[in-house]
Amino acid sequence: MQQTETAQGYVKNIWDSVKTTLVGMKITWRYMLQKPITVQYPDERMPIPDRYRGIHYLEQEKCINCLACARACPIDCIEMEAVRHGKELEWISFTLDYQKCMFCELCVYPCPKDCIHMGTEYAFVTFDRSEFKHDLLSFKGMAREARIRMKEAEAKKAAKEAAKAAGVKVEDSKAEEGDGE
Amino acid sequence: MTPALALAQQSAAVEVGSGSNAFLEGLVAALGAYLPMWALWLGAAVTGVAIVMGLISLIAMFSVWLERKVAGHIQCRYGPMYVGWHGWLQSIADGVKLLLKEDMIPRDADRVLFMLAPALVLAAIVAAMAAYPLAPGVFFADIDLGVFFVIAMSSMTTIGVVMAGWASNSKWTVFGAMREAAQVVAYEIPLGVALLVPVMVAGTLNMREASEMQSGWYGMGWFMFKNPFMLPAFVLYFIAALAETKRAPFDLPEAESELVAGFMTEYSGIRWSFFFMEEYAAMFLMSALAAVFFLGGFESPLTWAAGEFFGRELFVKGASGATELNLQAIPYHAVAGLTLLVKSFAGIFLMMWLRWTLPRVRVDQVMTMGYKYLTPLALVCAIGAALWEAGKQALLG
Ligand code: SF4
Ligand code: SF4
Repeated sequence: MQQTETAQGYVKNIWDSVKTTLVGMKITWRYMLQKPITVQYPDERMPIPDRYRGIHYLEQEKCINCLACARACPIDCIEMEAVRHGKELEWISFTLDYQKCMFCELCVYPCPKDCIHMGTEYAFVTFDRSEFKHDLLSFKGMAREARIRMKEAEAKKAAKEAAKAAGVKVEDSKAEEGDGE
Repeated sequence: MTPALALAQQSAAVEVGSGSNAFLEGLVAALGAYLPMWALWLGAAVTGVAIVMGLISLIAMFSVWLERKVAGHIQCRYGPMYVGWHGWLQSIADGVKLLLKEDMIPRDADRVLFMLAPALVLAAIVAAMAAYPLAPGVFFADIDLGVFFVIAMSSMTTIGVVMAGWASNSKWTVFGAMREAAQVVAYEIPLGVALLVPVMVAGTLNMREASEMQSGWYGMGWFMFKNPFMLPAFVLYFIAALAETKRAPFDLPEAESELVAGFMTEYSGIRWSFFFMEEYAAMFLMSALAAVFFLGGFESPLTWAAGEFFGRELFVKGASGATELNLQAIPYHAVAGLTLLVKSFAGIFLMMWLRWTLPRVRVDQVMTMGYKYLTPLALVCAIGAALWEAGKQALLG
């Protein structure tokens, strides 16, 4: 609304305000009828690119506890603990501290087994800060296959030892027999 | 205006049929032998107030939901979506939340005025609401000065708002209250004068009668089409009504970007919700007035057809000579009531649409618009309409 003293200006003000209001209403009407562009977040999500760097995931069966990823991390947020049983691993923890992590992906490249990856999940909400120390393990202790492999290996070893012991025994008995003869 | 006075205004309670208070009569017939007259009268009054209050809260709840949906869709979002189908129960959830909120009064506030203000605002709007006709034969109070009464009562809320602003003892609230007072004083005039145009054509201030007068032309004999000055008068009335009900672009009393929340900055919980109920009820009433005096009230082709088909009289003289309820006319009254309701909500929708279209105007612009534009234009309309009507009578006899 301009400050106009002339009668012409007065009429023009009225005309302008009516016209601009109608134009504005036309625009908002169009917006109102259009489909909303928002995404109902927890129910629907925007598509995420495949190479998005979100929360990590670990292929635990492949991991060999070599610590290469932990060493590569510039801010030391990966910690892991596992007990070795011969070739097999008994996992205790593999934690990633998301209070520190900056999602730089540097931990992914050095992995010799290509088993740590960055996922597409980005929403990480907790009630307590301590929960940001996130455990990537999908199971604790040993994998079933690993246990079976270990049992097999143990059985084989035992069998070998038994065979060995038996062989010695045989030899012994032979020797005894021989002795006897 | 205290609730007790509002009660007195409501004494008519639910009147059914012209002139008779069917509700009170029914009560007397049923309980007159056991209870004194004043108790029955009080009972009828309390029932009336309870019904009006219920109506106001229903209207407020629905309007809040509608407002949020309209706002959302205009901004290309959805608005509430989770509580019920498209969030239609959201207002109930919000109401429960408001009821459970802590009741806070600032330490330095004037306690009595602070607590009285929302009650006064609500009482005034309850009283004004009593003039709303539910259907041609069903109303709370058939007031001959209907329009006058509604406008007087709804400007009563201004006193409550100024009271709230002053009692809160905060600069934001005082600014809000001052703006409200200035704005209402400025816009009361064009509002009244613009309403004068249809009132002049109708020759009555009674809302029910004014609506009846528009039933010609198969339900399309609206005042809107009766006089060339009607359309500008309608636009002027609508603009002034926006300012009266503190709606954007005239929401200066609660301008949230300048004054936190204006006069209700210090209010919370249920007291705050009273102000909100008042705002939506006032919007509804202003739209209802516009519907009755410009847009045909109960009348539409559908109402006309229902009236022709089912008959219009809700009360007929029975065979024995006593008045009886004519059950056949109920569909007509339902259609008529719904028509007015739909028209009123169309007005509310228009107010919302404008709110989300226009930015807030400045204080000086509000004053300029009120005094320099609306008032003279409304006067021109009124005089023009009067001359037109006089000329029509002189020419056509
Ligand atoms: S993404 Fe970067 S900061 Fe995060 S754990 Fe891997 S190396 Fe460390
Ligand atoms: S670098 Fe790969 S294999 Fe080595 S500890 Fe990390 S995740 Fe496991």
